[in-house]
Amino acid sequence: MATYKLTTPISEEDARKLKVGDVVYISGHIFTSRDMAHLKLRELLEKGEPLPKDFQGAAVFHAGPVALKNEDGSWRLNVIGPTTSIRMEPHADWIGRIGVKAILGKGGMAEDTLRCAEKYGYVYLQAAPGCAAKLAGGVDRIVDVTWFELGMPEALWDLECTEFGPLVVGMDSHGGSIYKDIKEAGQKKIDEMYPAF
Amino acid sequence: MDEKIARQAVYDAVIRAVTEISEDVKGLLEEARARETNPTAQSMEDSMLENLEIAKRLDKAVCQSPGYPTTWVSFGDDNFPAYMKEVISEAVGEATRKGYLRPSIVDPLTRVNSGNNTGRGVPNIEYEYNPGQQYVDFIISFKGCGAELGNAMQIMTPAKLGKDLVGLKRFILETALNAGGKPCPPFGIGIGIGGQMDIAAKMSRKAISTRRWDDENPDPQLNELEKELKDAINSLKIGAAGTGGDTVCLAVKMDRAHTHTAIAPVAINFHCWVARRAGIRLWNDGRIEKLL
Repeated sequence: MATYKLTTPISEEDARKLKVGDVVYISGHIFTSRDMAHLKLRELLEKGEPLPKDFQGAAVFHAGPVALKNEDGSWRLNVIGPTTSIRMEPHADWIGRIGVKAILGKGGMAEDTLRCAEKYGYVYLQAAPGCAAKLAGGVDRIVDVTWFELGMPEALWDLECTEFGPLVVGMDSHGGSIYKDIKEAGQKKIDEMYPAF
Repeated sequence: MDEKIARQAVYDAVIRAVTEISEDVKGLLEEARARETNPTAQSMEDSMLENLEIAKRLDKAVCQSPGYPTTWVSFGDDNFPAYMKEVISEAVGEATRKGYLRPSIVDPLTRVNSGNNTGRGVPNIEYEYNPGQQYVDFIISFKGCGAELGNAMQIMTPAKLGKDLVGLKRFILETALNAGGKPCPPFGIGIGIGGQMDIAAKMSRKAISTRRWDDENPDPQLNELEKELKDAINSLKIGAAGTGGDTVCLAVKMDRAHTHTAIAPVAINFHCWVARRAGIRLWNDGRIEKLL
């Protein structure tokens, strides 16, 4: 298990270096995106319209911050932490196609993501769940917010970060998934303890 | 009890619920960290404990998600607390303005955000009338919704429960394994068995939200099941954060109600480790007692 400090835009080479269990810190820009922003991005792609941010080498964080508005209309971050990533599983392919190299979230993702991580060279990074006050320490400022009309959690926030983390590689681009391994071993254990009848 | 004092006590309890986690859950988390042998899980649990300390020091929310507020209120003959909904809504609104709670309550179909964490049916209040009760009990719980994604319900049958309840235990363990890291482990699980679908579901939420996670169940059979299931779930090695480790489950809390002879409804309800809740007892004679 190695520790890596990456800066966005993340190269495919750097993303492919990462293996399950490695620890990662990210500096540069992190874009938040949950259910609704993913649907908006997909809609723009389908219509062939430009995306609001450059996703080549991007880090996308399944998260919605608690942000407070300053008097001059700008935003300051209160706290931010990961939301449950499996809801974004249907977007695994186009997320890779637009160039995203790191997905940040919690709880892991499934087979489509594992396949697309290998195909496009991206990784899934697990953040410590429920640690929003600690994680906020890695965010320097909110650059801007897109689609605020979707609501505070669902908008796309551009965060400038310094060594945001620690994040653990949960799924890599070599077919490795910590979640899949745990599930397979766990099912065997259940079959031993409480056999199917 | 003087209504002004009662209103203030309820308001203060709501603010306490959103600014700290339940002390029993924090204690169990610390014990789990002390026992943990997996390095990744150790690091995750260290982050969780450090996060609690940072949130307190900087006066910030522990978690970005405000969860979904449900309140249990019980009352007696002459002490119905008609002010409850108003006071809870005021406190939730204030906590939202201060950044303790992110505005996250939306219409289920249009997905339009109400902006203040209240709305149709929110805050949800479960009232219970107990004849002769000389106090009002108030418990509020803001339960995160990543945890909801792991929940499961099955209308089991006598055959499906299995010999020595093996079928029931299998269903609960497979549900925990499928939930994995999604409910922000180390999690608690509430399990309601009996009634019909609605009753089992309500019991499951109430069990994990209103009981101390380190208590014993007064029902001996359920108490034994709670311990067996907790140990069995932890033996799956899912770990804190779901990335492997010794403790994924801090508590199993069960409740049961009689049901129809044809069925055994089972509701399984996950609760993240961020147990934001508070409870107080308001005695008619003016005393105020802390419950949670």
